[in-house]
Parts: sequence; C-alpha cells; structure tokens
Amino acid sequence: MKSIVIEKNILKNNNEIASKIRSALNDKGIYTINMIGSPGSGKTSVLEQIIKHINRKFNIAVIEGDLYTTKDAERIENQGINVVQLNTEGACHLDANMIEQALDCIDINNADLLVIENVGNLVCPASYDLSEDSKILVMSVTEGHDKPLKYPSMFQKAEVLILNKIDLVRYTNFDIGDFYKDVKSLNEHIHIFEISCTSGKGVQKLCDYLEGQIMSKGVNR
Amino acid sequence: MHEVSIVSDMLNIVYENVQLHNMKSINKIVIKVGEFTCINESSLRFAYECLCKNTICENVKLEIKKIKASAYCNNCRKIFNISYTNRVCPICNKFSKNVVTGDELTVDSIEGEQK
Repeated sequence: MKSIVIEKNILKNNNEIASKIRSALNDKGIYTINMIGSPGSGKTSVLEQIIKHINRKFNIAVIEGDLYTTKDAERIENQGINVVQLNTEGACHLDANMIEQALDCIDINNADLLVIENVGNLVCPASYDLSEDSKILVMSVTEGHDKPLKYPSMFQKAEVLILNKIDLVRYTNFDIGDFYKDVKSLNEHIHIFEISCTSGKGVQKLCDYLEGQIMSKGVNR
Repeated sequence: MHEVSIVSDMLNIVYENVQLHNMKSINKIVIKVGEFTCINESSLRFAYECLCKNTICENVKLEIKKIKASAYCNNCRKIFNISYTNRVCPICNKFSKNVVTGDELTVDSIEGEQK
C-alpha cells in the first residue's frame, strides 16, 4: 500500500486561469467587478444605473451571466454597452474558464471598467475567483435583514455591499440597525451603499466611489 | 450547491495522480475542507458517489478532514479560533482581517497499490 501526498487546491485550475486573466486586466488598467446577489435583488437595475451615471466618462464592458436567457444582456445592450452573454445552462455559478471564453468574444481594449454580472445566488459564486478587483454584493430590503447571518460567506468576502430598494424600507419590517450590526460583525471593512434604482437615491454616492476606484486602477495603464 | 463542480475538479486531480504515480488501484482519498467553504458534506458525498461510478474511484473511501477557521492577530502575534460573526481577538479585542485557516479545499492524499 502506498500513500501519495498531493496537497493540491481543488480550485487551483480556476485560480490559475483567474490569475492569468487578472494580469491581462491589470496590464490594461481595467477595474473589474464581480456583481453578486440573490435573484431579484436588482443586480441588473443597479448596473443600468451605474452605466447611466458613468458612461459618458468611462468605457464600460459587461459580461452577463444567466442560466438560460439573454434578457439581461438585452437590457444592457439597449444602453449602447459592449456586452457578452454567458449562459450557464443551469449551473449555479460562473467560473474563470467561462470568463476567459467570454473575453474572447468582447473587445475590452478600450474599457476602463469591466462588470461581470454573476448568476443570482448567494452561496456558490463566493468560492470562485473570476479575476475581479472587487466583489460587489447587491441585496434588497425586501429580502429581509437576516440575510447577512444566513449567508455569511458572501458578506465576508465582498468589498462593497449595495442595499437596494431602500425606498421600500418603510413598507417592510427590515431593521436597518440590526442589518448594519450583523454585516459589520462579518466584515468590518465593507463599504455599504443604500440606494434605490427607482428614486435614484444614493446612486450618485455609489458612482462617485466607483469612479474613484476606476481612476486609481487606470493610473497603472 | 456547487458540490458537483468541486467533486468533478477533485476527481480530475485524483486521476492525474493515478496516472502520474502509476497506480493500479486506490482505496482512499483524503481531502481537507475548511469551515468557511460552504461545502455541504452530504451533497459532496452524494456527488462523489454519482461521479465516480465506473471509474477507478468507485467504492473508494472518501475521508474528509474538517479544518476549523482561525485568524492571526497582528497585535498579539497569536492565532485564534474564529466564527463567521466573531473575528475579534480574545486577548486585545481587535478585529482581525487575517484569516489563516477555514478556506481550505484541497486533495490531501490518495492511498493505493502501484503497478
């Protein structure tokens, strides 16, 4: 009987592809976001708002992850953005291999910002590095303030948390105080933005932050 | 939910090593799974059973070593156990960003007969 020591990370293949893409994106000075959230949290609506606010100043490219449809990619394309659709055909997360293939189908040479919209899921995408600079988590008040503690991994790994549909908070029993306390217990350094895509509240502040990130990444170009 | 993808990547690593080390059979696979990886053990075992049918891994024991999550305190220079909601050093009460263990997902070793 022989025991063979392997000690290989199961996600090593994914991580190797991600770091290859990351160095290409770094060379081009492209700030890259992995946008994650539950189905219906408003990821695409938030993205539409970001595009509307910063499109005149920066070039944006988008990779749209979706299980089956092209609905979200069409919404983004309607705003005149360079977009590629990735259909996972039921798979619950995007991986770096899919991003590598998607990047073959989209011209990012002039891009300042690359947004990867993940499939709606608060669990699986947390494990997969897509070569992003930031994981941006979108959640909405209608999901309930208990979600951070119920899905801790994602809240722990995100750099930015967007609390969407804030205009609806008065119709719900969402406890903002508990929400902040729980999120900070998971991730003390996370940046939180309260926004409403319907009223536009908070969108400018979020975009100011993103513009700062895009510009500091672009300096390396 | 992504246990099937994880098991599929795990088996690829096992098959690579079976070839590399010229194994004719294996009887144990040992993996490490950190507390923070969101891997459900029963889903993982179910995926493993399904994916290794008719392969060299069929009926091979899968041993899962669970790794506790811990962090390092820069102030006290000590490693301490953490949970998702508590990463505060028990000595100085400072929040630690330096998670040391808990994210492991590795094929540790395989055991079997060589040709």
